[in-house]
Order: sequence, then C-alpha cells, then structure tokens
Amino acid sequence: MVEDAVIEVENVDAGYETPVLENVSFTVRKGEVFVILGGSGCGKSTLLKHMIGLNPPLKGAIRIMGDRIADGPQAERERAMRRFGVTYQSGALFGSMTLLENVCLPLESFTGLPREARYLVAEMKLELVGLKDYAAFFPSDLSGGMKKRAAIARAMALDPAILFLDEPSAGLDPVTSAGLDRLILRLRDTQGVTVVMVTHELASIFAVADRCIMLDKQTRSLIAEGPPATLRDRPPNATVRAFFNREAEQT
Amino acid sequence: MTLTLPETCSAERVATVWREVMPAVAALGAGDTLTLDASSVAVCDGAGEALVVELYRRSAQQGFAIACQDAKGVVARTLGLFKIARFAEDPSTVNPIRNTHTSRQIGEAVLHIYGDLCEQLAFLGEAAVSSLSLLFRPGRLRLRDTLLHFERAGIDALPIILLIGFLLGLILAFMSATSFRQFGVEVYVADLIAIGLFRELGPLITAIILAGRSGSAFAAEIGTMKVNEEIDALTTFDLPPIAFLALPRIIAATLVMPILSIFAVIAGLFGGVLVLVSIGVPAVTYWQHVIAASTLSNILLGLLKAAVFGLLVGLVGCSHGLQTSRTADGVGRAATAAVVGSLILITVSDGLFAVLFFLLEI
Repeated sequence: MVEDAVIEVENVDAGYETPVLENVSFTVRKGEVFVILGGSGCGKSTLLKHMIGLNPPLKGAIRIMGDRIADGPQAERERAMRRFGVTYQSGALFGSMTLLENVCLPLESFTGLPREARYLVAEMKLELVGLKDYAAFFPSDLSGGMKKRAAIARAMALDPAILFLDEPSAGLDPVTSAGLDRLILRLRDTQGVTVVMVTHELASIFAVADRCIMLDKQTRSLIAEGPPATLRDRPPNATVRAFFNREAEQT
Repeated sequence: MTLTLPETCSAERVATVWREVMPAVAALGAGDTLTLDASSVAVCDGAGEALVVELYRRSAQQGFAIACQDAKGVVARTLGLFKIARFAEDPSTVNPIRNTHTSRQIGEAVLHIYGDLCEQLAFLGEAAVSSLSLLFRPGRLRLRDTLLHFERAGIDALPIILLIGFLLGLILAFMSATSFRQFGVEVYVADLIAIGLFRELGPLITAIILAGRSGSAFAAEIGTMKVNEEIDALTTFDLPPIAFLALPRIIAATLVMPILSIFAVIAGLFGGVLVLVSIGVPAVTYWQHVIAASTLSNILLGLLKAAVFGLLVGLVGCSHGLQTSRTADGVGRAATAAVVGSLILITVSDGLFAVLFFLLEI
C-alpha cells in the first residue's frame, strides 16, 4: 500500500453489464492533481462513477481513505462518501435554486449550522471560485464557465478531502478553461484538496496534472501511468505516443 | 469577553459554538474587546473559517475590538483568503426573497396570459397555412409519423378508453336508474345512456383522456426536441417544424378521436346493460331503446365534437411543445400547460357546441 494514498483502485473491472475496462489498478496520493485520460468511450466516466459510488464495479475494490465505497457496509460507504465532492459534466446545478441555495444544500443536509452560518459558508465558497457577486443569480443566468465554477463551489461546500471533476473543460473556450485550471490549482494549494479529474483536454492536463493514467478502449486496460511530461517525452506505447503527438501538432 | 476556538473547528463543533456565542457577540459594542483564542486550533474547515469571518465582520459593523491569539496562524490564513470588506452585509440578506409583491405577480400573470394567447394565435395561423399547403402538396405530409402517432394516441389508448367508458356507462346507469325507478320508467335509462354517451360524455371523456395521455406527450416530445436543438436543426434544413412535427400529431389526434369516442360509447353501453339487466330490465328491451335513441344526428354530432376536441388537443399540445423554454423545467411546464390548455378549450368548445345545437334545434 502506498503510504499517502487517499484512493486505492484494485483490480477493478469497470462497466455496467459487460466490462469496458478490465483489471485496472492505481493509487491517488494525498494533495495531488490526478488525471484520468483516454479517448472517447474508453470508460473514463464509467470508472469515475464507480469511484464515487454511483455504480458498483463489476469486480475489484475501490477504497476512499481506507473505506470501501462499493461493497463495504453502509456506514463505511457513507463515511467514504462524505470525504469527496463531485462536479458533473453539465454542472448539474439545480435550476430552481440560486447559486447560494445550491451551495447551501449539502450544508443543510449534513451540518447542524444555523442558517446565517450556512449562508456565510456558501458565500465564502462562492468567493473562492470568484462568484460571490452572483450568489443571488440562478444557474440559467450564468455562462458555461461560471456554472462549472459554481458546481465546484457546491462540491467544496463540505470541505471534502477529494474533489472529483468530470470533464470540467468540456464545452468551454480555451481562456475560460485556463481560468478553471488555475482555480483547480488554487483550491489544491489553499484548501489542500486532492483532485481527481477526468478529461481529454491536453492543455488542461499539462496545466494541472501531477500524475495521470491513460485508459485504452481497444485493450480495455490501463496502458500508462505517470506525470504527463514523462508520458509525452517517453511514451510507453504507440497509443500514448499518438495521444500526446496530437498535442504536439496542436501547439 | 473571551472565545476559545475548539481544537477541531469542524461544522459540527462550530454549529454549537455559533449558537452559544453569537447572541453575546451581538451585544458587544464600541469600547468592548473580544479575546479570540485560536492558539489550540489544529483543524479548521469552511465552517470554522466562516466563524472567524463572522466575528471580524461583526467587529467592523458593531465597533468592538478583537484581541487575537493566533499561534498557529489559522485566523491570519482565513483573513488572508477572505477579505472582510467583501462580507460586509448580513449573510441572511444575500438570498433574494422569492415572493414578490402580489400586484406585480398579478400583472406578470396577465402579461403571461396575453403573450400565451398571441403565441397560440400565431401557431394556429401557421398550422392553418401549413395544412392548406398540404392540400396542394399532400406528399409533404410525413405519413409514417402520422401513422405512428395514430397508433400511440389511438391503439395504445384503447384499454383505458374501454375501461373508463365501461365504468362511465355503469355509473350513469346506477345513478339514473335510482331516480327513474321511482316513476317506473327505468327502461328509459337506456335512452339516457345512449343519447348522453353519443352526444356528450363519450367525446368529452375521450378528449380528457387524450389530453392527459397524448396532449402532454406531444408537448413533452416536441419540447425535448427544442431543448436538444433538434428544432433548430430542422429549421436550418428548411423543414418547417410545424409541418414536420406538429401536423402529423394534429392530424393523428383529429382522426383518432372519433374512433376512440365510438369505442368509449360502446363500452359505456355495455356498462349500462349490466346494470339494467341486474335491476330486471330485459337486455332485448335495453338494446331496442338504445338503437331507437341512437339516431344518425346524435351519432354524427358526437363524432363531429370528438374530431374538434382531437384537433384542439393536437393544436394545444404541439403549440406548447414548440413554445418550450430551453430550461430544465421547461418541458415539464409545457406538458402541464398542454393538458390544462386542452381541458379548458375542450370545456369551452363543448359549451359552444351545446348553444349551437340548441339554436339549430338539432
């Protein structure tokens, strides 16, 4: 076992009925920005859904800070689920609530804080992502990038140790996407949160990732693991080389 | 006053501290000093930070001083991350109050109804033009879609139509037989059921079911297509959404309604015979009265009403679908508006039919 591991994925078969990934194992360390990458349909989001306990994996074990998220007893699962926040691809903000109410929702469910304290915590989370002045706005009034930032504020409401981000840059322009990357790094540095991010945006990977793993659709397996620069400079196989070469052509 | 922050400033601990301390803090004023002892804090989450910010916010607002013992730098770190000037207002006033003034709500509702009526009229006009153009180019009608909607709105609805129709006839017979029996004319219950079902209740109950089943489905289907930008795609292909999406549904609803209505009436007649036979009226007598009461005019008027109700359900469902807003709750609202709008129009037009038939003496 890795000493400072916060997430351990062991011999996991990922998928709903038939596996899209087989025998995947890796470890996420405390305080790092860890990126899961791969082409479309390789099982990145499926693996993420297993990691956050939405669907159990077909085989194997996933532990969040030592607690089994998929097959453990209910108390262990609940403890594991309190340790992370998640932002989904679309933001998944509740349209009938203001940003403040969206961020307040988990505080209302899980803490006994009085109302004004909840509001202040929510405001401070929005301040962290630069949206305090939009606290009374509804999600429909915001741009795509602002919605993503608000979703991050909501995911951070309970001060999780781990933040899962599912394709945070999807549908955003490069400038907004770069702003989001800076926010992720700032949250890691100021809040000490470990970030697990699913993406295939190469610019984001090089901007934020400490380490990454690459999944492959054809072999249904984990084909590379390491810092992005290392994978780019010394690709272990042709698929990784092709993935990162496209980056070289783009930039 | 002295406040010692706990070693673990988690949400649970802060909740207790907040409730205990804030009333006393609220009483502090200029000249007072709050001694904040944060030297033993080892863990401080967002709630702990919020407590620190709230104390400093109140200090700035109420004028009391804070003497801070911050050996581990928790307070300094929080104040570095969150500028107190940015949190000057009371947090409980940040969220807007939803219930705006009643007069404003009434005004907005009136404007909404007016806008809705204008949109419905515009849709009606466009649908009429599209239908007329179909007369000249019938090949433009999507026949396969029309048949599909005919099946969904018609054949799939048959079980519920038969059940409701049967129960309606049964209930109608029970209710009227009790009164008719007092005069010894329970055999005329057959006439009441036949005329009532053919002219009024058959088309009406069928239209209500169609509005609930298919009117809402039309609005939801088209609404979802609008949210998914499929309507925009159709427009860029120069395929008018009304001709492509609305007309097949409207035509299907108009054609299927008379057929469904006949099924509802027949089921109702069988419900009636069950009751009358059970109270001693021979089945042959019942059917003789039913046949005598089922005049051609009664049947045709019922079918005409059914077709008009079907047309209204199709029009209202499709128009609300096309007017769906591109928000998550837009589709739900469109489906609700389609059902409510259909029911209102069905009732109003039924009233108009009654007046018209009375004036025409048919």
